[in-house]
Amino acid sequence: MECLEFRSQLDDYLDGRLDERPLREHLSACADCRRMVQHAQAVQEGLRKLSPPEMHPAFVDRAILRATRPSVVDAHPRRRALVGMALAASLVLGLALGAFFSLREAPVQTVALAVEKPETVRMVFNSAKPLRAATLSLSLPENVEVVGYTGQRELTWQTDLREGQNLLQLPLIARGAVKDDLLARLSHGTSTKTFRVKFEIAKANSPGT
Amino acid sequence: MSKVSPYRKARPAELNFDDLLRPQVEYLYRLAWRFTGSVADAEDLVQDVLLKLFPKTEEMLGIQKLRPWLARVLYHQYVDSVRQRARSPALEVVGDTEGDDDPLDTLPAAVAGPDEQAEQGAWRERLVAALGQLNPEQRAVIAMHDVEGYTLEELETMLETPLGTLKSRLHRARQRLRALLPMEPFSSGKRVNA
Repeated sequence: MECLEFRSQLDDYLDGRLDERPLREHLSACADCRRMVQHAQAVQEGLRKLSPPEMHPAFVDRAILRATRPSVVDAHPRRRALVGMALAASLVLGLALGAFFSLREAPVQTVALAVEKPETVRMVFNSAKPLRAATLSLSLPENVEVVGYTGQRELTWQTDLREGQNLLQLPLIARGAVKDDLLARLSHGTSTKTFRVKFEIAKANSPGT
Repeated sequence: MSKVSPYRKARPAELNFDDLLRPQVEYLYRLAWRFTGSVADAEDLVQDVLLKLFPKTEEMLGIQKLRPWLARVLYHQYVDSVRQRARSPALEVVGDTEGDDDPLDTLPAAVAGPDEQAEQGAWRERLVAALGQLNPEQRAVIAMHDVEGYTLEELETMLETPLGTLKSRLHRARQRLRALLPMEPFSSGKRVNA
């Protein structure tokens, strides 16, 4: 069995819906797929252990009373507007080479890269307050790669932002001409803030020039 | 000797409703929290369902397996409420708030203490945040299948959704969760306070 075939059956394997023998044989021989299964199982296990906080002690009585005798209490529960965090107001992304900077309104920054010359782009996220488990997604344009992630145009991970400036060092390399922008999307709760990074690409200096 | 049903059509609907639903509220709340990720939203959702169900008390008296039936009602109420919110321009407000509506605010913060405990708190928050990135249908299939243990065949009947659609939804949801909960792509020390 090839990895591709195994991975196409991963869900059924996780659910125990398949004859496991050929899959187990593949797993015993393939460390990558084994890691993928372990990762998937860890996520599932985490979800199963995720217990909700206690509901309000009076909730059951109140909810039943509201449903059965709406005239006694307000029939409509407190309705909250679905608003997000203060991302738009409180987060600033600055991008630079060498020395970083940040701007109050910085939806677009331009970064100079030389072809085939790795550069560390420093992204500064300035947060007015700590943000736990924010999600940062990068969409890379064609011909730009994060060093060590060859061929990956989409990278997503979660991290905690501290109050104040948070620095992410992003090792980038241009493989050729770049037409599009890099999009850095920061999400927390229901809010998302997208930043755009333009590239100016120069050919790498040849030795001695 | 035949079992005597505690429910009587002659009894006031309020009593029957109380007898039927009170034992189910905690289950509904748990499921609603898995859908919404927020205590307040979960309580609102359960309240909305109870309001909707009271006029159907008599119908519920005849339902053999009440819990899956209730889960289905809750699911539809949840999806409807999310769509309703999405249509409301007021809900797109982004700005300074007290933060009481943020799903994560309802979670206990990682407490000081043993590293393991702090790590568990952080992992929990990451899981909740990752779930928040799924669409309502994906969240629901994860909650009902991966957590509550309903089989896809059971969900096919409960949610009146084709098995193929459920499988594809589950596949995408799991794939997204794995992508959102990766091994940290950047080694430690890459994120620092400047």
